[in-house]
Amino acid sequence: MKKMYLSLVLGTGLLFSVHSTALAQGDYPTLGQITQRLQAISGSGSAAKLSSLTKTEGGKDIWVLKIGTGDLDNKPAIAVVGGAEGFHVLSVELALQFAERLLRDHKSALDQNTFYIFPNMSPDAYEQYHASLKYERRGNAAKIDHDRDGQVSEDGYEDLNKDGLITMMRVESPMGEYMVNEKDERLMTKADRSKAQKGNYLMMPESMDKDKDGSFGEDLVEGIAFNKSMTYKFPIFQPLAGEIAVSQVESRALLDYLFDQWNIFAFVTFSPANNLSAPLKYNAGDAKKRIIASMLEKDVAINGMVSGIYNETITQKAFNQTNQGTDGDFFQWAYFHFGRLSFSTPGWWVPEVKGEEGKSNSNAEANFLAWAASENLNNVFVPWAPVTHPDFPGQKVEVGGIKPFVMYNPPFTKVDSIAIEHTDFILKLAALSPKVEFHNVKSEKLGNGLTRITADLFNNSPLPTHSEMGEKSRWLRKIRVDISKDAADLVSGEKIKLIDKLDAYGKTTLSWVVKGSGSVDIKAGAAHTGIATLNVKL
Amino acid sequence: MKFKNWIYTTALGLAISFTGIQETSAQEKYFRAIGTPHNPKVPVSWNRYHTNLALEEIMRDMAKKHPDLVKLESMGKSYQGNDIWVLIVTDFKAGKAEDKPGMWIDGNIHSNEIQGTEFTLYTAWYLSEMYGELEFITQLLKDKTFYIAPTINPDAHDNFIKEPNTQNSPRSGMINMDDDGDGVIGEDPFDDINKDGHITMMIRKSPTGRYVKDQMDPRKLIMVAPDQKGEYEMLGYEGIDNDGDGFVNEDAIGYYDPNRDWGWNWQPDYVQRGAWKYPFSVPENKAVMEYVMKHPNIAAAQSYHNYGGMILRGPGAEEDLGTYNQTDIRIYDAIAKKGEEFMPGYKYLVVYKDLYSVFGGQLDWFYGGRGIFTYSNELMTSYLYVHKNAGRGNQDEQMMVDTYLTFGDAFVNWAEYDHPQYGKIEVGGFKKNFGRLHPGFLLEQDAHRNAAFTILHGYHTPKLSVMDVKEEDLGGGLKAVTATIYNERLIPTHSSQDLKYKIERPDYVSITGAKVVAGFVVDNEDFNRLSEQKVNPEKISVANIPGMGAVKVRWIVSGSGNYSINVDSAKGGKASWKK
Repeated sequence: MKKMYLSLVLGTGLLFSVHSTALAQGDYPTLGQITQRLQAISGSGSAAKLSSLTKTEGGKDIWVLKIGTGDLDNKPAIAVVGGAEGFHVLSVELALQFAERLLRDHKSALDQNTFYIFPNMSPDAYEQYHASLKYERRGNAAKIDHDRDGQVSEDGYEDLNKDGLITMMRVESPMGEYMVNEKDERLMTKADRSKAQKGNYLMMPESMDKDKDGSFGEDLVEGIAFNKSMTYKFPIFQPLAGEIAVSQVESRALLDYLFDQWNIFAFVTFSPANNLSAPLKYNAGDAKKRIIASMLEKDVAINGMVSGIYNETITQKAFNQTNQGTDGDFFQWAYFHFGRLSFSTPGWWVPEVKGEEGKSNSNAEANFLAWAASENLNNVFVPWAPVTHPDFPGQKVEVGGIKPFVMYNPPFTKVDSIAIEHTDFILKLAALSPKVEFHNVKSEKLGNGLTRITADLFNNSPLPTHSEMGEKSRWLRKIRVDISKDAADLVSGEKIKLIDKLDAYGKTTLSWVVKGSGSVDIKAGAAHTGIATLNVKL
Repeated sequence: MKFKNWIYTTALGLAISFTGIQETSAQEKYFRAIGTPHNPKVPVSWNRYHTNLALEEIMRDMAKKHPDLVKLESMGKSYQGNDIWVLIVTDFKAGKAEDKPGMWIDGNIHSNEIQGTEFTLYTAWYLSEMYGELEFITQLLKDKTFYIAPTINPDAHDNFIKEPNTQNSPRSGMINMDDDGDGVIGEDPFDDINKDGHITMMIRKSPTGRYVKDQMDPRKLIMVAPDQKGEYEMLGYEGIDNDGDGFVNEDAIGYYDPNRDWGWNWQPDYVQRGAWKYPFSVPENKAVMEYVMKHPNIAAAQSYHNYGGMILRGPGAEEDLGTYNQTDIRIYDAIAKKGEEFMPGYKYLVVYKDLYSVFGGQLDWFYGGRGIFTYSNELMTSYLYVHKNAGRGNQDEQMMVDTYLTFGDAFVNWAEYDHPQYGKIEVGGFKKNFGRLHPGFLLEQDAHRNAAFTILHGYHTPKLSVMDVKEEDLGGGLKAVTATIYNERLIPTHSSQDLKYKIERPDYVSITGAKVVAGFVVDNEDFNRLSEQKVNPEKISVANIPGMGAVKVRWIVSGSGNYSINVDSAKGGKASWKK
């Protein structure tokens, strides 16, 4: 009740000063605050229209902001997606701030482009960040039997030390595979058996074996993960993925919506995968299979170009950015199954910290702790402390480890500068969008009422109108050329002509021989390339 | 006077109808032809095709006349809002339907393949009418539940029948799409130029044509020799260029293929033509999927297609070769090879290597996604005409059949029409209901043979019993109780695909009425090799009960007294034993 009152006050504040609120906030927003900020920028008169695609199993809205002016369905569009992973709260803030900054500082971008913002695809999981029990959650609120034993979510996490956080649990045992890290005794490392190292700890998430099957935390109290349940390389029957791809209402609603938006030419997804610091690699064998499993060669070149722009725009140097896609994820779906250019970045990663010898630490957790120390972040680790555990009577069980969220989400004070840079990047990408134009228009009288019209249709963009994958897909329209004359008045040339593709800065020459006088209108394009028009006097 | 007359007529009518009933009892009028219900409660003519309206009438009548054997349920709505019906056929007085192993049968996923609808309906009719008349069928309906969905694509079922179509259209359901990528949806479908409800062929006289009409049979268009001049050119199926883009019939209903929409190894359109948005984006398929998920007792399945005389099993795609292992293939082989023996003209084949490699097919989801033993039959083969292997679409044979067996019913004779773009043309050719579809006189017998195949298949779903219970006194008030759970049919409770992915829960064998000290699965009774289940030993989890095989469980119990043993299997049904 008190909380609601507070958010109402905050919401009212937002209406009056859009500028300061995002910046004034001390932590990542709650779902309620997200909704208020979305509403604040999409009121009457705004170029942004807010709608809810559906409600999740947990009763949360899946918002989309469609931002554009004029003939917005026929302007090349970028879709920005946040919350692909619920624990990646930064991604939601980045998508939100992009929308806010676009509307506040970069409205001219709407002259050429339309933007779709899906700020949070995992609201059920996102909520865990603000819940009394905090853990890195991926799944929505659906009831799923992850370990497929006939019981649903019977073995989730357990807050054994009652600190409101799920961390790790270590059990002293001669049969353990883990040992204390030599350099940092807070960390646990897997014993290297090839070096005759012996482990002395079992490691598992903070949990109890409630179903007594010998496994810990293997059937979590959460449902399907958005970013593990798309159709590309869908990991069927795996935990958090489920039995059928795109089984969840929010996934279906998003895809159904996207399949109706013909003007999207590129996606920017804020998710753990990264093909912006470095482009995806081309694998000829995988690209030639019937089920294509490598980005196609020409598209890798585009990815390389866009990656170059990203690295020029983003100040943080890539480090440990090895995730270039995981099975069933969204960003690969947008390319492989939707035929659009698709880019993903986590937005932020733990920066590289070099030790005294000038070498960086190969252990990501050690690197994180070193970075946290350099930033004076003292609140990122739960010291190992003993608990009594019913499954290990008489054994030493300790709970501790790096706190949830902190390795994927920077302190909130760092978010603004990240958001500014990523806004700039998305706008630079938008400026590259395919753009068809008429050039070299000629109208020649052939006598006896006949006129020959000739024009070059030119794609004034460093991107082709159709990616190599887009050419294969049924989900990108062809370039359509229409002339406003009856077929009977066309001595030559087609009334309707479909063109598969124009290359980057590529052109095709069109020509008609037309009977009669007056003028004709010619238009050419597709929703994702924009439509060019031409009026020719006969 | 008038009134009196009325009374008289009514009385007469009553009298006649009374004697009528007495005189026209089955024995007086009909004599059983072996194998067929000769006096069915629901009379159906099995030599014609039924529209949705007729189908629903028959199904409702079945449910009404056989209230203890047939129930009718809607699985959901189609794209156009039609009910997708399923008939549940079982002896409802002998146990709950969902507690018995289930056999799923559907037809008509492809709109133009409508004999599957008739064959499924025939199966429901045959089972319900023969119950109580044949011991085999009576016992079958006590043991099993048949889920029978005559059309899982009702919208396009009627579109095929009622609207102008070719033999091959529509294959999609009724969702319309932009096939040519011009931004407009379905703007250039077929056009029924001669208004006969059939989309046949257009030909035109042309000095450069390569065809002539056969002088022996002017219905036949034959190609001339390479050095001869022809008289006609072929213009394709009836249609005009509706949108003025210079192409004819390039954007009709669809296109999508409902049989590329299923959730095992689904692939998008550029990999697998016909796929739509994602698995189960076609609403009819989603309804079927949800129904199957809600009925985990379904252990076997059959879908019907046409054409070719085939009993097909998966994998649909070569990439799924590893999905089907030898244990399961032996079962597939045993049932299908028996089917080949009593279905002349039908061959047992594997989709990916004998037909074509396909992703997202229905049978692959039933097996790959649910572990259900599934066949798909391609109904009708020209072999059925005159028992020769003339091959598909053999014009000479088809003309002969139409001349001597159907007397011209199959062909639209060539006639002249004015075409807005082509000028003077001729329209004619085989009707949409010839070729892929059975002619009336072949429908019933092929329906029966295919029904018999599904009955064999359904019969071989698991049948479990507690075969043997032994007690051994261990002293100290303890005894070992060993029970053998037997499956007396071919199909196991879990296919190997099911075991690989843990698709269905394990089978449970429970003991009640005894104090259990320990519980085991007996791996080898002779040498006492046991696997102990420490948690909840009263309810032993058994991964699988193999076909024509058994598992043994053992409990160490204390005290005396009577106990009972219960078997509970999702796909295998239930069994119990009492001391």
